Amino acid sequence: MNRLARGVTVGVGVALAVALVVALLELPAAAIHLPGTVAQHLAQSGVEHPVTAVLLNFRGWDTLLEVAVLLLALLTLLTLSGGQAAVAAVEADPLLQGLARKALPLIILMAGYLLWAGAHRPGGAFQAGAVLAAGAVLLQLAGLLPAWAAPGRLLRLGLTLGFLVFLAVAAALLGQGALLQYPPASAGGLILLIEAGLTLSLGLILAGLFLFVTGRRA
Amino acid sequence: MTEAWLDPAAWLIVLPLLWAGLAFLAGPGRGARLAIVALALQLALALKLAADLTATGARVHAVGGWGAPLGIDLMIDGLSTVLLLLTQVVAVALAVYAQGYFADAHHRREATWFWPLAGFLLAAMNALFLSADLFNLYVTLELLGLAAVGLVAVGGGTAQLAAAMRYLLVSLTASGAYLLGVALVYGAYGTVSIATLGPLVAAQLPLAVWLAAGLMLVGLMAKTALFPFHFWLPPAHGSAPAPVSALLSALVVKASFYLVLRLWLGPFASLGSTAAGLAGALGAAAILWGSWQALRAQRLKQLVAWSTVAQLGYLFLIFPLLTADGLALQAGVLQTVAHGLAKAALFAAAGVLMLATGRDTVEGLAGVAGRVPLTLFAFGLAGITIMGLPPSAGFLAKWLLIDAALESGQWGWILVIIAGGLLAAGYIFRVLRQAFLLAPEESRFHPVPRRLEWMAFVLAAASVLLGLRGAELVALLGITP
Repeated sequence: MNRLARGVTVGVGVALAVALVVALLELPAAAIHLPGTVAQHLAQSGVEHPVTAVLLNFRGWDTLLEVAVLLLALLTLLTLSGGQAAVAAVEADPLLQGLARKALPLIILMAGYLLWAGAHRPGGAFQAGAVLAAGAVLLQLAGLLPAWAAPGRLLRLGLTLGFLVFLAVAAALLGQGALLQYPPASAGGLILLIEAGLTLSLGLILAGLFLFVTGRRA
Repeated sequence: MTEAWLDPAAWLIVLPLLWAGLAFLAGPGRGARLAIVALALQLALALKLAADLTATGARVHAVGGWGAPLGIDLMIDGLSTVLLLLTQVVAVALAVYAQGYFADAHHRREATWFWPLAGFLLAAMNALFLSADLFNLYVTLELLGLAAVGLVAVGGGTAQLAAAMRYLLVSLTASGAYLLGVALVYGAYGTVSIATLGPLVAAQLPLAVWLAAGLMLVGLMAKTALFPFHFWLPPAHGSAPAPVSALLSALVVKASFYLVLRLWLGPFASLGSTAAGLAGALGAAAILWGSWQALRAQRLKQLVAWSTVAQLGYLFLIFPLLTADGLALQAGVLQTVAHGLAKAALFAAAGVLMLATGRDTVEGLAGVAGRVPLTLFAFGLAGITIMGLPPSAGFLAKWLLIDAALESGQWGWILVIIAGGLLAAGYIFRVLRQAFLLAPEESRFHPVPRRLEWMAFVLAAASVLLGLRGAELVALLGITP
């Protein structure tokens, strides 16, 4: 039975892969060319980089829901792990600790730069948040930051702030005619505000996905 | 028409996202009252949306003001409005129920993150019903799936975690198949807007789009727990706390069915006819197998969960019967609404019976008729809808389905519908019969908050009375762009 199931699975997988290759080889040219449309409207988007324009303006609605997905992932993790007591940080190598102390200001600077750069070149809140989260993981591994137990009020505020700011901006812009309809003049400022909030919250959420789990294991 | 900043469609998504975030901020176990107030408001918004729709017709809310294909459109029409109404009605009743259920000392721990999870779940459902963009729909599916997995796990027991893990794996695999399909569609046409895709698909059908349709529909059927993808549903819905089971069984599986229907009627209309017979056959198998398992189930919530597998089968019977007169479509949507209300009532009632007897077995129900008569009445009323007896909405749905089968001369489906009704009567009466037996000497009953009983009753009564107002629902459904 087990061998039969495995054989069927492999067969279906191979058939799907072959069909995909054939389908992609004979794919016709797309009728609609969206990158051109994006370039056309870039000037009204408030930012100069097309990826940021798509993520925060043209398809900002997707991004708002994606941020909710990340917050929800953390919430589900908390549900699975239950409330654990705080765990003391592990002792670590003094060399690693020294390096982590030196690296931290650079990490924060790097995150700030990525946030700022998002407006006109590759970068933005997700990248900046990931760098911040990496900093928190480094501190934990070096024994300078204890793993997290159940989140306190201040941490919960930090985790939700970016999402709530984004949601508030989306709803406030309803007066313009639709959700997230930025007035072209203030679009740049509002996008920076959203991205700043997201950098902090995404950093904490991504760090939490590591620190809450280590807290549980220890 | 209302002013832009009051657009009920937008607030139906913003509001649940907001209270979900605030409930998390408020801390473990908090947020019940906020949720109930907000859900009452959402119900008012959905009613306003339906009134506007009747007055001015279907419309589009272009998020960001760009319009498809550059931006994302929300689409408000009859089908989405009916499902939004169902969702808000069931959610508000279950929120009141859940507040009482989690106040019980044995279940307080389960409420730790229940409210924010429920908020995200309802926001995802509302966003899904309104979205008219294939990629945005993927994001709502992710949000919905993750919230549902979190809710299955709130109980924290080993069985619940195992069920949640299995559900997560199915949900992720299905989402992955759907996303692969979206990528193929984007590659073939350069857009993911459903409205823009319609004429493009009609004009040209490369192999990639056939593959995409197959992947997306199979993924969504797995999420809807259509036979033979039903294996994850009974453990997930059967082991979660009662308010969670009710939310998942009444609403969440309907969201992916709604999407199958949207794709089948919309961009994939020209492809659907080839697979219609297969979808119907799987639906028929689900009805027979699910009902049979419900007849044999030892645990009450397993019985109700298997009944969901069976009742979802009826939804797929409509595909071989879809014609221009819209009978089968009306039957499918009526069945969605009727089953949503009745299944929420059955799980709510099952939760009360479990609290009262302290057990989850059908056998342990002996004597409950004298202790919680209102709940048992609710169980019976909801059972009328599930069996499809007049005047319930379930009857109306099955009647329309038989009518559609007669008109298209496909007699075989009628036998399945009648057999399903008889089997349903079998498992509903099995519970009722046990409840009216005399309680054994040593049995003890725990008092149950009255509001739990009333909420089960309200939902069950709604599922029966809806049959009398079926015409309004059908009229609303007829409003298309």
